[in-house]
Amino acid sequence: MTRHAQSLQPSPTSLMRRRFLTGGLTGASAAVLASLLEQDGIRASDLPQSVGRHDPTLPRPAHFAPKAKRIIYIYLEGGPSQMDLFDPKPELNRLDGQPLPDSLLANVRFAFIKKESARLMGTPRRFVRYGQCGMEMSDLLPHIGSCADDLCLIRSMHTDQFNHLPGQLLMNTGSAVAGRPSLGSWLAYGLGSESRDLPAFVTLVTVGRGIPGGSASWSSGFLPSTYSGTQFRSTGAPVLNLDNPNGIDAMTQRASIDAVNDLNRLHLNEVRDAELIGRINAYELAFRMQSAAPELTDLSGETQETLDAYGLNRTEPDIKSNLGGKGLFEPFARNCLLARRLVERGVRVVGVFHSSWDHHSALDVQLRHNCLMADQPIAALLKDLKSRGLLEDTLVVWNSEFGRTPLGENRTGENSRVTGRDHHPYAFSIWMAGGGVKGGQVIGETDEIAWGVARDPVHVHDLQATILQLCGLDHTRLTYRFQGRDFRLTDVHGHVVQQVFS
Amino acid sequence: MSFPRQSFHAVWLLCLLLSAAGMTVQADESPGVDFSRDVRPLLSQYCYACHGPDEGSRQAGLRLDRADVAMSVLESGQTAIVPGQPQSSELLARVSSPDPDLQMPPTSTGHSLSAEQQNVLRKWIESGAKFDDHWSFRPIVAPVPPPLNDSGWIRNPIDAFVLAKLQHEGVQPSPEADRSTLLRRLSLDLLGLPPQPAEVTGFLSDNSPDAYERLVDRLLASPHFGERWGRHWLDLAHYADSDGYLGDTFRDYAWLYRDWVIDAVNRDLPFDQFTIQQLAGDLLPNATVKEKTATGFLRNTMRNTEAGVDLEEYRLKEIVDRVSTVGVGWLGLSLGCAECHSHKFDPISQREFYQLFAFFNDADDVDIHAPLPGELETYQSRLAAWTADQSRLQMELTKVFASDSDALRTALNVDTKKRSAEQKTLIESLLKNADEAASQLASEYERHVGQKPTPPATKAMTVARREAPRTSWIHVRGDYRNRGEDVRPGTPSVLPPLVAGESPHRLDLARWLVDPQNPLTPRVTVNHMWKHLFGRGLVATVDNFGSGGEAPSHPELLDWLAIEFMNRGWSRKALIRLILTSSTYRQTSAVREELISRDPLNVWLARQSRFRLEAENVRDAALAASGLLNRSIGGPGIRPPQPDYVASISRNTEWKVSTGPDLYRRGMYIVFRRATPYPMLLTFDAPDSTVACTARERSNSPLQALTLLNDPVFLECAAALGTALHNSQHSTFDERLTEAFLRTVGRVPQPAEALRLNRFFQDRWQQFAADSQAARELAGDVSEANLAERAAWIATARVLMNLDEFINRE
Repeated sequence: MTRHAQSLQPSPTSLMRRRFLTGGLTGASAAVLASLLEQDGIRASDLPQSVGRHDPTLPRPAHFAPKAKRIIYIYLEGGPSQMDLFDPKPELNRLDGQPLPDSLLANVRFAFIKKESARLMGTPRRFVRYGQCGMEMSDLLPHIGSCADDLCLIRSMHTDQFNHLPGQLLMNTGSAVAGRPSLGSWLAYGLGSESRDLPAFVTLVTVGRGIPGGSASWSSGFLPSTYSGTQFRSTGAPVLNLDNPNGIDAMTQRASIDAVNDLNRLHLNEVRDAELIGRINAYELAFRMQSAAPELTDLSGETQETLDAYGLNRTEPDIKSNLGGKGLFEPFARNCLLARRLVERGVRVVGVFHSSWDHHSALDVQLRHNCLMADQPIAALLKDLKSRGLLEDTLVVWNSEFGRTPLGENRTGENSRVTGRDHHPYAFSIWMAGGGVKGGQVIGETDEIAWGVARDPVHVHDLQATILQLCGLDHTRLTYRFQGRDFRLTDVHGHVVQQVFS
Repeated sequence: MSFPRQSFHAVWLLCLLLSAAGMTVQADESPGVDFSRDVRPLLSQYCYACHGPDEGSRQAGLRLDRADVAMSVLESGQTAIVPGQPQSSELLARVSSPDPDLQMPPTSTGHSLSAEQQNVLRKWIESGAKFDDHWSFRPIVAPVPPPLNDSGWIRNPIDAFVLAKLQHEGVQPSPEADRSTLLRRLSLDLLGLPPQPAEVTGFLSDNSPDAYERLVDRLLASPHFGERWGRHWLDLAHYADSDGYLGDTFRDYAWLYRDWVIDAVNRDLPFDQFTIQQLAGDLLPNATVKEKTATGFLRNTMRNTEAGVDLEEYRLKEIVDRVSTVGVGWLGLSLGCAECHSHKFDPISQREFYQLFAFFNDADDVDIHAPLPGELETYQSRLAAWTADQSRLQMELTKVFASDSDALRTALNVDTKKRSAEQKTLIESLLKNADEAASQLASEYERHVGQKPTPPATKAMTVARREAPRTSWIHVRGDYRNRGEDVRPGTPSVLPPLVAGESPHRLDLARWLVDPQNPLTPRVTVNHMWKHLFGRGLVATVDNFGSGGEAPSHPELLDWLAIEFMNRGWSRKALIRLILTSSTYRQTSAVREELISRDPLNVWLARQSRFRLEAENVRDAALAASGLLNRSIGGPGIRPPQPDYVASISRNTEWKVSTGPDLYRRGMYIVFRRATPYPMLLTFDAPDSTVACTARERSNSPLQALTLLNDPVFLECAAALGTALHNSQHSTFDERLTEAFLRTVGRVPQPAEALRLNRFFQDRWQQFAADSQAARELAGDVSEANLAERAAWIATARVLMNLDEFINRE
């Protein structure tokens, strides 16, 4: 079945009619509907066509064969320092303490740096060649380094925004202004769900300092709320209102849902509104979710080896103070493991969020701490997916809103206590792995001090277009009409980075 | 002369229809190819992006939105459209070309025209390629309702327009819905609350001929009408109680604007005034605090105060949002598209966008004192008492300290922490030599100064015109740093001209929007109202009356309503009353088998529609049915309990849970914090308040089911309803169930429903009798003897509050 272009939303009358006549229902949803209806003694042909509106709980065909069927999107809020993690710059170390040439400074803005007295700052990190490919990454990432042959590292990312929330919104929703659907929501909207018991899009948040904009990074914006990221907690009831209230046991819950659905069926016979079928399905899915979600977060079936690999029982090293707070090692590791369990169960998009990597000061100490937290679990996730055969069709992304300045941050205007770096939109690094990504390669290059992109620039919208492409969606054709206009994740921009593909 | 019989009949029928409808045959029913209905949508969808109004992206010098250019010889020597000569029209050659290099639209777009679509263009060119103005830009001319012979179905002209279309399709309207459905529909549509049982029984037994009309009048007069219809407006205004963005700081008094809206809707402030006050209340002569508070409309834009941002960039973004909101809300145009380039589908240039922008560039944000009733009086009387004491103390100081008293007083008037060294020395030296009474007097004075009453903190968020006007520029590609030509305030040339003096300002713009000559505002506004009452607009794309939107299903009805609206003094209540008292509105909403394939979306209005309640009203319905609802109107927002982690993901984490009766207030009073909204509201598709919303989504998800089943608020409602049923004066199951149905769905149960619920009830009773702990957890404080039965009633109430019908309006 071909689904031509553009919007999946209920369309204007004329289009609707045409779509109906040419078979607007996907094969799968039509079959499910028919079977549901037969139970109720109603033939599909009897039903109003609004049933043809796609059921968000069913999979939908992509624009073309997807290389990645699902995605784990690891978002490290704040802007991890590329010079200290991914982008070795010996020349920067040599120039440590030197001013930046005026030509570079003339037209730039910073959030906090005083331009006039700012000095370049080298890195104390040692860069190591990892894997057979010899990809250079910092000594802070030995575990991720051991996966280098699976990684596609992009050193030439750039963005338009140098403040956190606008940058984060641009990266996660395609627009610096709030209100647009998130990448995960677009994917859920475009691809539907493969899971019959869990939402299509789940987010796992290790809160730390707090995510700017709250849920904006996984919001469905103007798409129906069904496509929002459902936040799962790693402990306790994983989803809001998942637990039965006190006094309602599983038997009462089941009996209640049966009664609700029976009465809804009686009403359906009278009003013939297909939305009622959707409601009946939603109650069934809710009930299944009530057992599936706790099963998901119950790690008792995991081997000790797995738990250790993810680092669930690590001792968190002491740190005097940390921007993101303390006590995050265990929850972050748990969230990485849950990400694997979620994709295993057919969840389409898993967002793993953590804040903060916004190291304006105490960068060496706090970045090391964050890497200790994140490196091992993320690498364990990659290896775990690989050993289970999931990595080949699961895309994993390490991402943030921008990078950090090669200049030390002299917020007070004095050079005496410069221990951090400011926001830097002109060049930063991210990586992808799995689902259709050619591993062991580095895309792009920055200049000798990691200030600007020297080769193969990749804009935020290019990255988004590429991610959609890997998932089988054409970013120019995935649209939704709102306020009289067809919106896209990539607005009017975006070029697919072909080099990423295997 | 002889006609083949069949076609003679067809012609005769057509003549009959034409004469029956007078001059009012609806555009989309006429035979042949119609430019507006058939051709423009194609050109708009496939061609205008490169051959439309936007000069920046125009290719080959061709524009297909203007007849003169489309029919002139291009640089290439070709002519896109030659009227009457499809074979010479390059447009047709290109859209049907098999050569990928020539084909239009370009193959890279992934689009191509179907044979059917090509045929439409061919026929149009054959018949002379007539262009006409887009329907929504044409002046509104009062249509005459079709004089139909009807069977008594027509109650007012709305019905005549609707029936003409139904007759044309050979379809009968649906019968009138039964009384309980009508009551519940009206109550939900007008108040957002389900009817109370006494209202149901009262209306069912009211046999007077005007019972329905009196009901409509009573509901329109209810103060909850302002809540319901005010909330519709707040969607458009994208009202919220916080800034949005990173800090997402609370706006403690944003609700003053929200209350202004409720009040304005309740007193039926005419829509033209309603418009003027919100866009330019501050510019009215001798503007009152209330009129200025109305400009809070413009302050609902999000505000970015993140450290390090360029505040000017975000000030300009707020203005862009204001222009877009006016575009969507009043004009039904996506003006926002023209921020970066001239509009690709509608005749709005980028320059015109920034001319509108210029109107708002002169408005500065100002928070003004807006004391609540009584607040000012309290302050004034306290101030008067304080001033009297102050004079007394001052006199005494003068007596005691004589010539030093002035200097001493001046020093003491300064807050202790802010005194200069000299002031401290002066006080010390004067008091060192003073006796105890004098020292005491000085300290009393000092204390009293610190107790000066502060004026009421209640401040309304408003805008005010700047003294020194700013220059506005076109921002090239929407980039605020990249200034193009400067522009003066002005309105789009496709619409009637602005009437204004030398330097047009916001008040002129507001008046222009509601000028009877403006063809868009009344059409857009009545369409909003229609959508709220039928679930779908006469123009389905309520936010787009431009060429990318849909044509109206009943163009003449739309125009007739627009004219009526203005003739009735822009009265919202009068127009709503007119619609509610039509037969069209009163039909049943049951889906009709025979129309499922012919009119699946109910465009013809052969029935009413059935749709889910809005998020706030889902909460309201549960609270109302349970008897817990606190019906008080207005005032500061409330904060229902929510798990800590909801707010903790963000940077503004404070959520001080409301107590007492505030816990049971309506959904629209829940504090809306943009970064972390109250989850139940989002689960049921409340808009996220980032930009104007004129059409909420209506999704249907398992999270909604979990909310209704398990959310503590909904469980509390079920417990309260179950308890009330159990305590009811009625003694039998059937009587109690009837009461439960009246409270939840406003009707009596049918036998099959009663039977099914009886089984459920008996089973639960038995189960709870065997598990008294569970019963106790559910039913709380009740005697052992009544425990299981009480719990069973609560479980039954919970089922009723989960019915689809409970959260739908039928």
